[in-house]
Amino acid sequence: MASVRRKKGENLLVRYLILGGWALFCLVPVLWFLSIGLRPRTEIITPQPIYWPTFSLDAWHMIWEDWPMWQYLRNSVLAILGSVLIDLVLAIPAAYALARYEFRGRDDIAFYILSTRMMAPAIVAIPIFFLFRNLGLLDTIWALMLVYAAINLSFVTWIIRSYMLDIPKELEDAARTDGASDLRILWEIIIPAILPGIITAAVIAMIFAINEFLFTLLIASTPDAYTMSMALANFTGGSDGVIYNAIALVAFLAFLPVFLVVVAIQKHLSRGLTMGAVKG
Amino acid sequence: MARIELQNVEKRWGAVVGVRDVDLDIADEELVVFLGPSGCGKTTTMRMIAGLEDPSEGEIRMDGEVMNEVDARDRDVAMVFQGYALYPNMTIYENIRFPLRMRDVPKADQDRLIREAAAMVELEDYLDRKPGALSGGQRQRAALARAIVRKPQVFLMDEPLSNLDAKLRQAMRVQIKHLQRQLRITTVYVTHDQIEAMTLADRIVVMAGGSIQQIGTPDQIYRDPANTFVAGFIGSPPMNLIEGRVEGGTFSAPGISVPGLSHAEGRAVTLGVRPEDCHVAEGAAHLTGHVYGIEPTGDMTYLTVKAGDKLIEVKADRDFRADLDTPQGVTFDMDRLYLFAGESGERIR
Ligand SMILES: Nc1ncnc2c1ncn2[C@@H]1O[C@H](COP(=O)(O)OP(=O)(O)O)[C@@H](O)[C@H]1O
Ligand SMILES: [Mg+2]
Repeated sequence: MASVRRKKGENLLVRYLILGGWALFCLVPVLWFLSIGLRPRTEIITPQPIYWPTFSLDAWHMIWEDWPMWQYLRNSVLAILGSVLIDLVLAIPAAYALARYEFRGRDDIAFYILSTRMMAPAIVAIPIFFLFRNLGLLDTIWALMLVYAAINLSFVTWIIRSYMLDIPKELEDAARTDGASDLRILWEIIIPAILPGIITAAVIAMIFAINEFLFTLLIASTPDAYTMSMALANFTGGSDGVIYNAIALVAFLAFLPVFLVVVAIQKHLSRGLTMGAVKG
Repeated sequence: MARIELQNVEKRWGAVVGVRDVDLDIADEELVVFLGPSGCGKTTTMRMIAGLEDPSEGEIRMDGEVMNEVDARDRDVAMVFQGYALYPNMTIYENIRFPLRMRDVPKADQDRLIREAAAMVELEDYLDRKPGALSGGQRQRAALARAIVRKPQVFLMDEPLSNLDAKLRQAMRVQIKHLQRQLRITTVYVTHDQIEAMTLADRIVVMAGGSIQQIGTPDQIYRDPANTFVAGFIGSPPMNLIEGRVEGGTFSAPGISVPGLSHAEGRAVTLGVRPEDCHVAEGAAHLTGHVYGIEPTGDMTYLTVKAGDKLIEVKADRDFRADLDTPQGVTFDMDRLYLFAGESGERIR
């Protein structure tokens, strides 16, 4: 009995060591960034390694006081949330049609949607620039919202569709004989059943949108539409040279909201990522 | 509440034929069982009645009204699915309520109806649970409650008991029959289990290879099988079917000789005899072979005799015992012999 218990304890210890090691491995770059962000500029590039840098809020004050960081943050959040919302509103019905209705060329359309993802984005950069200029949307967060939505729409549709394919057809047949219309079935049966998948797709879309740079650069030309990813670029040019600690801090701030979202919905997310593979 | 007619109904998917030539008239309040092996088109036929599948040919009528173009949701048909198909994110209460909400039953009546339906299947204590927290039998009953709650015109059940263990199956069978009689709702029940069909049905529709083999009461199906397929599908163990010839009024096959048959002189036939109509013989017998197996079950003994390369099942007395490979004679009940045409399998006698 006692030996069995000790063995269990040892197992647990080994497990914690391995998991702790893994967590450290993943977190080191993040902590490294934070430490760069919170040290003075003079201690960033030095010939000797500095093990205990001086704590400094220089970069912190600088990004908030010298730059309209709040506005960048607000632009990022609005553009990203708006784009994810647009994606879901468009992708869910599209995915449902692709997963359930029989029509000519259905599989071709499904594949075409995914294939738009395989194209180099630069190919459409110029047309998109002219398009938004003609629409008068250049340098607005509306344009960013639409572009992010367009970039992510294909794979959001694809992910949601694959979750829908896993729902037993019987469930919908039951709802139909119970008297539900297609929209009711979608709203009351399908969406609740694939919520983990929808959340997974939304989070991945958010991450892509936060990291988007090329189109943002094309569209945003003033702080009116600058986002966090553009803010990073602001610290590399100019008369002050590359401001590494500010870059690190802004990068960390951009990372934090996604991190918190992922932690908050972790349960759904891990289920979502495996649900497609293993039928429940 | 509803009479269902299927006329000349056929379902194809491209070159694949699911069912063909289905002609069937189901009376009001009748309980009809579709019986047949897996893949014979039972589910397809039922789904066409439900409106979940469009027939490629033919007409489906309810109370005389053609239903082909009527959507499933407007047919007032309730279906119980093989996998139960309970809505996983809703409690049992919400599951049972769903059809009421979809059909705009007044809020004031909903609660009472839900509790009545739950009480009928003894599920009152589980209304707050999600389907995932119920056992197989409880899920089955929840699915039943959801189907009966809105008192539909027609009840469709697709192998509703196939996922339950034998004991529970027997109990649920009785309960389903009781409910059907109590509610007096026209019911179509699909199964591949002939015992279920025999015990439940007013009439059985035996299907094979996408078409109807025979329609009749359980008694008719058992006593007057239309062909070798029906004969071999009904009964447990099923009828012995022995291929041979009739020459000079005597049927013969290796190890088997049955005189006194006036039918099908000179033709290849299949002789059918049920295990319960076979008797262990001491002296002269219709069949002589060797004991192949003995299976005592308590109330009787299943004896398997090998004649030629054919295995013949016999229901013997519960005290019957014999050693393997010893010679054994069997006589047949002459009044209960069947003859089927060799080629077509159609019944001759
Ligand atoms: N959607 C479909 N597409 C093509 N063939 C089908 C489809 N549904 C059923 N079938 C075929 O129709 C036949 C009858 O199927 P089904 O009615 O499910 O049989 P059962 O319920 O008696 O087991 C089977 O051969 C099956 O493969
Ligand atoms: Mg079936």
